[in-house]
Amino acid sequence: MAQTEKKAGLLRRTSSSKKPLKEKVVLMYDEIFAKEDPTKNNPRFWDELFLMKVNLEYLEGKLESLDGDEVMKIKDNINSLFHHCVQALGEEHQIKVVNALQTLCALFRGVHQKNKSATGFDIINMLMGFDKAELRMKELMESLDSLLCGDGSESLKSLCLKLLLYMVIIQNTILEYVMINSIFEAILQILSDVSSRAQHGYDAVVLLALLVNYRKYESVNPYIVKLSIVDDEPTLDGMGMVIHHALTEYNRQYKDKEEENQGGFFSTLTSMVGSMFIADADEKLSVQTNEAILLALYEAVHLNRNFITVLAQSHPEIDMATTPATPVPASPTTPLSTTPPSLDMMNNPELPLDPNLQTSNLLITFLKYSSIVMQDTKDEHRLNSARLCLIILTCIAEDQYADAFLHDDNMNFRVNLHRMPMRHRKKAADKNIPSRPLVCAVLDLMVEFIITHMMKEFPMDLYVRCIQIIHKLICYQKKCRVRMHYTWRELWSALINLLKFLLSNETILLAKHNIFQLALQVVNLFNMFITYGDTFLPTPSSYDELYYEIIRMHQVFDNLYCMVLRVSTNAGQWKEPASKVTHALVNVRAIINHFNPKIESYAAVNHISQLSEDQVLEVVRSNYDTLTLKLQDGLDQFERYSEQPREAGFFKELVRSISLNVRKNVSLSTMSQDVLLKEFSSIS
Amino acid sequence: MGDTELELSPAQLEELQQSPSASSNSSTSSLSLPSSPSSGTRPLTSSSPSTSEGLPTSSPPLDVISEGVGELSLVIDTEVAKKACQEVLQKVKFLKADGEVSSASSEPVLVNGTAHPESTDGGKPPKISQEEAEPVKNVRRRQKNNSSKQSWLLRLFESKLFDISMAISYLYNSKEPGVQAYIGNRLFSFRNEEVDFYLPQLLNMYIHMDEDVGDAIKPYVVYRCRQSINFSLQCAWLLGAYSSDMHISTQRHSRGTKLRKLILSDELKPSSQRIRREVPQPPPSCPPPLHHGQGMSEHSLSPSKRTHQRSKSDATVSISLSSNLKRTASNPKVETSQDEDLSSSSDSLTLEAGTPVRLTPQREFIKSLMGIGKRLATLPTKEQKTQRLISELSLLNHKLPARVWLPTAAFDHHVVRVPHTQAVVLNSKDKAPYLIYVEVLECENFETSSVPVRIPETRIRSTRSVENLPDCGITPDQRASSFSTVPNYDNDDEAWSVDDIGELQVELPEIHTNSYDNISQFSVDSITSQESKEPIFIAAGDIRRRLSEQLAHTPTTFKRDPEDPSAVALKEPWQEKVRRIREGSPYGHLPNWRLLSVIVKCGDDLRQELLAYQVLKQLQIIWEQERVPLWIKPYKILVISSDSGMIEPVVNAVSIHQVKKQSQLLLLDYFRQEHGDYNTEEFLTAQRNFVQSCAGYCLICYLLQVKDRHNGNILLDSEGHIIHIDFGFILSSSPRNLGFETSAFKLTSEFVDVMGGLDGDMFNYYKMLMLQGLIAARKHMEKVIQIVEIMQQGSQLPCFHGSSTIRNLKERFHMNLTEEQLQVLVEQMVDGSMRSITTKLYDGFQYLTNGIM
Repeated sequence: MAQTEKKAGLLRRTSSSKKPLKEKVVLMYDEIFAKEDPTKNNPRFWDELFLMKVNLEYLEGKLESLDGDEVMKIKDNINSLFHHCVQALGEEHQIKVVNALQTLCALFRGVHQKNKSATGFDIINMLMGFDKAELRMKELMESLDSLLCGDGSESLKSLCLKLLLYMVIIQNTILEYVMINSIFEAILQILSDVSSRAQHGYDAVVLLALLVNYRKYESVNPYIVKLSIVDDEPTLDGMGMVIHHALTEYNRQYKDKEEENQGGFFSTLTSMVGSMFIADADEKLSVQTNEAILLALYEAVHLNRNFITVLAQSHPEIDMATTPATPVPASPTTPLSTTPPSLDMMNNPELPLDPNLQTSNLLITFLKYSSIVMQDTKDEHRLNSARLCLIILTCIAEDQYADAFLHDDNMNFRVNLHRMPMRHRKKAADKNIPSRPLVCAVLDLMVEFIITHMMKEFPMDLYVRCIQIIHKLICYQKKCRVRMHYTWRELWSALINLLKFLLSNETILLAKHNIFQLALQVVNLFNMFITYGDTFLPTPSSYDELYYEIIRMHQVFDNLYCMVLRVSTNAGQWKEPASKVTHALVNVRAIINHFNPKIESYAAVNHISQLSEDQVLEVVRSNYDTLTLKLQDGLDQFERYSEQPREAGFFKELVRSISLNVRKNVSLSTMSQDVLLKEFSSIS
Repeated sequence: MGDTELELSPAQLEELQQSPSASSNSSTSSLSLPSSPSSGTRPLTSSSPSTSEGLPTSSPPLDVISEGVGELSLVIDTEVAKKACQEVLQKVKFLKADGEVSSASSEPVLVNGTAHPESTDGGKPPKISQEEAEPVKNVRRRQKNNSSKQSWLLRLFESKLFDISMAISYLYNSKEPGVQAYIGNRLFSFRNEEVDFYLPQLLNMYIHMDEDVGDAIKPYVVYRCRQSINFSLQCAWLLGAYSSDMHISTQRHSRGTKLRKLILSDELKPSSQRIRREVPQPPPSCPPPLHHGQGMSEHSLSPSKRTHQRSKSDATVSISLSSNLKRTASNPKVETSQDEDLSSSSDSLTLEAGTPVRLTPQREFIKSLMGIGKRLATLPTKEQKTQRLISELSLLNHKLPARVWLPTAAFDHHVVRVPHTQAVVLNSKDKAPYLIYVEVLECENFETSSVPVRIPETRIRSTRSVENLPDCGITPDQRASSFSTVPNYDNDDEAWSVDDIGELQVELPEIHTNSYDNISQFSVDSITSQESKEPIFIAAGDIRRRLSEQLAHTPTTFKRDPEDPSAVALKEPWQEKVRRIREGSPYGHLPNWRLLSVIVKCGDDLRQELLAYQVLKQLQIIWEQERVPLWIKPYKILVISSDSGMIEPVVNAVSIHQVKKQSQLLLLDYFRQEHGDYNTEEFLTAQRNFVQSCAGYCLICYLLQVKDRHNGNILLDSEGHIIHIDFGFILSSSPRNLGFETSAFKLTSEFVDVMGGLDGDMFNYYKMLMLQGLIAARKHMEKVIQIVEIMQQGSQLPCFHGSSTIRNLKERFHMNLTEEQLQVLVEQMVDGSMRSITTKLYDGFQYLTNGIM
């Protein structure tokens, strides 16, 4: 549903009806904002109030218009209003409950809008009063909990979640009460139940992600603890499905847009590398809103080890386009308030019978999503998303179970990663992607990232993560002797090109980044292949090819060596990191120095000016035995990912931006009063 | 007693066996003998105590059954049977009065008293043997007498030699209700497994033959259904499958359909539960009214005592069952949320009326598997099928463990997990049969043992999560004061993240301690003190060499082929696969963990396969009995309906087509590659295995006229045996009736080469084995014919097409030939098959049409 329209409609209606005479509810609001106790004239004031249709705009507007002093004057009345709202939540009469919920939402919104600069305690005092706050919040949370868990109407639950989201995005000490009075179980219940998941899953997952991130570094957050120990599969699966859906929806929207663009104006400009999306504001916004889902995915993967199985839980890719009736949200900025439309497809326990559906799983969808997000890291939100994607991949690559299914030879998938259109390469024919173990798709994604981001605004941090992921995967392969039939050559040449880029942009990059760290990582990846290739390379000839590639590109390694040698001999901040690279290069240099003369002499003997690949390989093969390599230590060791302290700042920023976004997008008026009334008249 | 039987000359026995129908005309009187007239005069309780002691455990609780089912208006015809027997009795009395004056009345009692226990695994002490001497003499004396012939039949029935095969044969051939009723009762005295083998025959007779046979069989079936869920389901499936050939209108009202409904309604629960509630003490202890006056059938009376004891234990069983229902109910139905409700409600229900929950989990499980097969069939490519299969199975996994099992397995178990990634889609043009591996936990009894607890997938890793955190401070007090800052546990890296990768080394297979990996291990060790260490040098050549060596050392595997995904899976040695799956399974550490596999076929009629299995099994038993070292591998078949079922896969075997395609070698060269060069022990053993199995299957192919023998339907196992699969075209049917494959069996020159060529000793051995096998089979022809003949009743299966199926089958046993003539015949068949161009032609045809080499 397009709420913007709704909102407008609602406004128009109320404003037009307001002119001739004031609604009763508005009069009653006025009474509250008067300084006297409204029950003085009418003892049944509160009972009546919640029977009235709520006028959110008026109430919010009223709250916002108050200045500090006025607020203090009518504090008792507002406290009382809050108190009665909470009490009304326990009412049997659903109309009262709905009205109370909406009133509460308006209170939080209004007070918060009003009091942006003020400290949290003021809000608490204004709404509940310091002395009663703890009790009130306890009551409120208990009511919300039972409403969410009860078998009441779905709109009611939806309202409850909205209210909770308001409380969360206020980023205020009110949240402490949400910490004390956990509604974690209620969220889980929503996720585990098929029908409620379909309707509220998205909100629930976002809420959970935000709750988990509340003061996660400063205090004990019970939601973190609880999330980490969930082992109920239906629940975890439900969470996975919600995430899967949101990501799939994004992928689909992207694809639609891409096709649209290709057909029209942009088709002539496809050579304009990647810039085509920048102009597209909506596109960026939709990335932004998905950060919340991405954060939820991260927390699930990072905190809960059982969630890893959900990643591999495959189900057919649900094609949104085929679902009838439910319109796609008009603008992608509002998915928070409308749950992704075709979520109800998940209701269907039997898998759909469409032969065209490709089987997919959360991991595949996530990889596709990542491939889209990583295409363009120029703006802040996309950069953050790309970073988060890489962090999630890092966590996945470190997990043994995840590695096991990534490398499972029996689980083959075609993963259509999105590739940036580039001048020097054609858009690969998607259809020809072979079905391979998932790790190949991960490696492809990494290679793709490496070759497409060598630019002035060098995303150093992302590169480091990217190389780390590759390293972790290779460590697993070495330890478990998994021999992937992957075209390693593409990876090698991408890595060498990266080194080349670092070399040619040394001065610019060095001003901002420690390029030696990245260079060291890359060189050490080569060292992994050189010294441990026997444990994970698929064929002997792939080992030969490695040597061939190194020899072919020896210029790059030579130049790198010169550079690091130069830097390490000079005193300065880069002396030490540069010298590390010097040491790491020993084997590569040994290979080059060993084989190059051999190849030259072979060419001389055979009078060939340009050796073919086969000839070089022949020379390589026959000269292994005279080459001695130095065994380097710790090649297969890596530092495990830890969020704290390194990533803490990033996540804080991320949560802030997500909250802002949620705040912008959560809209109360999604549910028109008519709908509610209709629903409740049939219930009660 | 054993002595007396020997006095029956084999010739006579054979005569009796072979002409049951002839003798049955006059068998009425003999039948009545066991229920002697004298017992009528005696009080029932005094019927020889030894009788009840020595009775078999599986004795018929006829009274119990009639009581239990009576309310359901399913009158079990013990009464009819009794009446019939009574009439017969009268006749005998007269006869006896006429013929013999003395001892006539006492004889039968003795016969009965002694003979009965004999039929039960010889549990009877032999002290009565003197007593029987007299009746035996009498019997002999009366040989020429008319009645004596009947008593021969009786003697046969009572004798040790009377086995289940004969019982089935008489049940089928006899037109006499008395005989049928008698055999119906006798079924109870056979071991369950013995009868189970003939279950298809029994049920087919029940469906398609006249009332009397059905009435004779029903009590036994009902009794067994009460005892076992597995039996109930097997019956229901078979009844459905064998009823399917009837016209739809008659089918609806047929006996088979009714019985099937009864079973599936799950009314046939252990009857004990009801008894236990209504009558605290054993009801059958007081003689049921049926028996009063005339101790009609001690067969039905005495067993009832046993039944009672059994029912007590059954009662306890059902109690524990109901407490286990929670898990049971939450079985493969893909919806999860409702399951809890279902199970909790069923908990309370079980005490009241019957709930169909007893059979539900297993039925749902099977239904899920079949549903997957149906959905797979809609997908166009193998790759999509495989992916879908894996994903569907992973969903199925969520509902496991449950009280479900694989009926093809030989032991009781619960299915705990389907390692979904191991499943493969098999080669088939339009159907989607698939092979799954199933992890099970062996248990004492799948009905009573409790269902294993679910262990999450990730539990294979050592868990060190927040549960074990010192204290996360969620006590209420701390919560209240949580405004204060508590040191964050995220710093505690240990608590959060387990060093999975580091732990891998422990879980790695043994290769890792192999010498050539020491360097890498060493490097890990050396990290700690890296500064002080001398640099270690390695030769690049060594790395390269290790790489090629390791690849060479891995056992020959097949290459992954998206068009033939099963080849790789099937080539992997079973033990290897078990080890690998066990390592990856969260249940792998349990001592009773087992791996099973099963092929799920959806859209295929397995009734012919089942028939072939029975024939193969029978021949296997015969050859074993006759000590002919022929080797065949009957694989179990589970018929679920007329178009679905399951097959027990042959492990460690790949099809010859796959062998040839993957290896690109001649069969003989493949043998040398797999087993070593000629004259190595391995090769010779494999060659002998090949010869013995080849001879066995050649005979089978000849006798059953197995067609469609292309290389995709012939497997080669890791020991060198060949195994024929796919008996879709047997007896009177052949593929598309193209008239290919006119030879007796398939014998290609490649096969002969493996046997060492035409002049080799092994080839002669092969022919000799065939001859011996044929002679042995001929000796027991009836047992084989019978299996086929009964199944022909009411069947529309293509293998019974035409009227001469059985006659032709009989002819192929060549009863009239001397052994010398048989030898010539075998020679001719071998010659003919080898020269047959049609075999080659057919292979070529298959290659052209289906790409099978």
